[in-house]
Amino acid sequence: MRGGRQLASLVLVAALLLAAAPRPARAHDAPQRAGAARLLSTHPSLGVIGRAPRFTLGDPEGRPVSLTDLAGRIVLLAFIYTSCPSACPLVTQRMAVLQRRLTAAGLFPSRVNFVSVTVDPDRDTTETLARYAKGFGADPRGWKFLRDASDALRPMLAAWDEWTKPLPAGEIDHPARLYLIDGAGRVREIYSLSLFDERQAFLDIRALLVQPGP
Amino acid sequence: MRRRTLSLALLAVIATASVAVAEVCLSPYVKRLAAPEKYLYVYSVDADAKDNDFLAVIDVNLASPGYGRVINTVDLGSAGNEPHHMGFTDDRTKIWAGTLLSKRLFILEVAADPAKPRIVKTIDDVSALTGLHGPHTYYALPGRMLLTFLSSADGAPPGGLAEFTNDGQLIRVFKNPDNAPYAYDVAVKPEINRMITSSFTPLRNYMKPLAQWDMKDGGNTMLVWDFKERKVIQTLVTDPVPLEVRWSLKPGATHGWTNSALGDSIWFFAQTKAGSFTAKKAADLGKGCLPADLRQSPDDRYLYVSCFMRSEIQAWDVARPDRPRLHDTVVPGVSPNMMHVTMDGKRMYVTNSLLSTMDYSGNFWVRLVHIGPDGRLKMDPFFDVDFTKLPTGPARAHDMLLY
Repeated sequence: MRGGRQLASLVLVAALLLAAAPRPARAHDAPQRAGAARLLSTHPSLGVIGRAPRFTLGDPEGRPVSLTDLAGRIVLLAFIYTSCPSACPLVTQRMAVLQRRLTAAGLFPSRVNFVSVTVDPDRDTTETLARYAKGFGADPRGWKFLRDASDALRPMLAAWDEWTKPLPAGEIDHPARLYLIDGAGRVREIYSLSLFDERQAFLDIRALLVQPGP
Repeated sequence: MRRRTLSLALLAVIATASVAVAEVCLSPYVKRLAAPEKYLYVYSVDADAKDNDFLAVIDVNLASPGYGRVINTVDLGSAGNEPHHMGFTDDRTKIWAGTLLSKRLFILEVAADPAKPRIVKTIDDVSALTGLHGPHTYYALPGRMLLTFLSSADGAPPGGLAEFTNDGQLIRVFKNPDNAPYAYDVAVKPEINRMITSSFTPLRNYMKPLAQWDMKDGGNTMLVWDFKERKVIQTLVTDPVPLEVRWSLKPGATHGWTNSALGDSIWFFAQTKAGSFTAKKAADLGKGCLPADLRQSPDDRYLYVSCFMRSEIQAWDVARPDRPRLHDTVVPGVSPNMMHVTMDGKRMYVTNSLLSTMDYSGNFWVRLVHIGPDGRLKMDPFFDVDFTKLPTGPARAHDMLLY
């Protein structure tokens, strides 16, 4: 409860900060909603982008979680950090909306799982991640928030081409991507944090379930 | 109560999130610059093909003692490639740079030291990999690059599209349809799940001197794609050779423009309420212009057209998007071609080589146009980088990127 309030306060502060004058964009800016009606695709073409690099990281309880543990399920993988003032909480919120929709469709957590990996393990302790997950209503049965010590995490981030660069005021610049991984452990779609639309992601997941691909 | 508070807070963020300051004409997926540019990369052809082609790095940091000079060149290791266009990956750490006469494609790392890019991968035979030849546009998608190709591997139509991972692994290929086989540029409007491609001419034509070109061996179509499905859903007919695809930058806008090189015209395309697209001629640029490049101001108020044959740059006021009005012109020198407008819309860098087979001037340069708050164009009298008298002799300066 207290964590949720703190998170809400954080997001409100972010809103005030973002209301300031326009600033140059970074690798991960806040998601945009266009004024035009979004056209969604019910038959997306999801090519095999490549094999998803394997990893084993710790969940907030300290238990190891491997990507291979989730084989057979579709996985949505995001890279975030909890003190991020804009894009990360907004994307996490959209993932929460997607989680609710998938749950209602009977797909979560049995057939679809989420993984959020912090790129800021020094500040994102297991307790911080647990509080963050709870604040967004993450269902721990199917949505894992993972971390590891910096040295151990570095090879995993490199394998996913997820560089980090500290910015003034404690922000971290990093490639703003989410990955959709099929049941065979292959990357089938990559989303931009700034243009992520959970409605299209739902359709993509459904397409992968109907036609797992080659 | 807690969840309601959180939702309200998130709504506040969404409502107040600042729109990123756009660097004009790049893919919307490319990370933007966080500060004014310091380096200008110029992709260059060694004019007599006796020395290797290269990427030049020009210092454009006003505070630097090296301002306005070539401070580094990256040797591509071979000559006669016809370096042409290039593009950043989504995270702006790499530049993809291909060639129009050879089959080589280079991936350069720029983030570690932007003053000293280095080649991290060379694809020696991109045609063997894709079945296509002549990569033209390098368009960033999240974690991937989408490339247009002007021809099939044999130098004839159809051209097509190929997607790669950022580190150069081929993902898939889409060839142009039989009824619209010519390819050139691509631009995506993710908000409406639409992608548009345009059409030029294939290798079998552009490899010859201009006087020998078959002017009928080129496209007059733009293809509208369902972006997520990677499927052509509509063919738009324009004047001959529609080149650059420029979507409006205004949030919610579903229109854009292209420049017809052989029609000397600007064409306006727009989505109708029914969802389909229409295209119509919107401006006559004057006979003999040969509009080689089309750029936008960040506020979407002006279009800039380089008239390659008439040696002027035109600024068109598009306050009424389907009725451009000529606002100003400037003469930067002979045969201006590529333009690159900065993210603040105040500066435009210009080069003057189009293709080895099309250039009619033996003098090559990179110059700077200042854009006033009133949209007026003014040449910088001091910024003039001479590419005619380099240590390796004249070099044709073509595409540019900023860092």
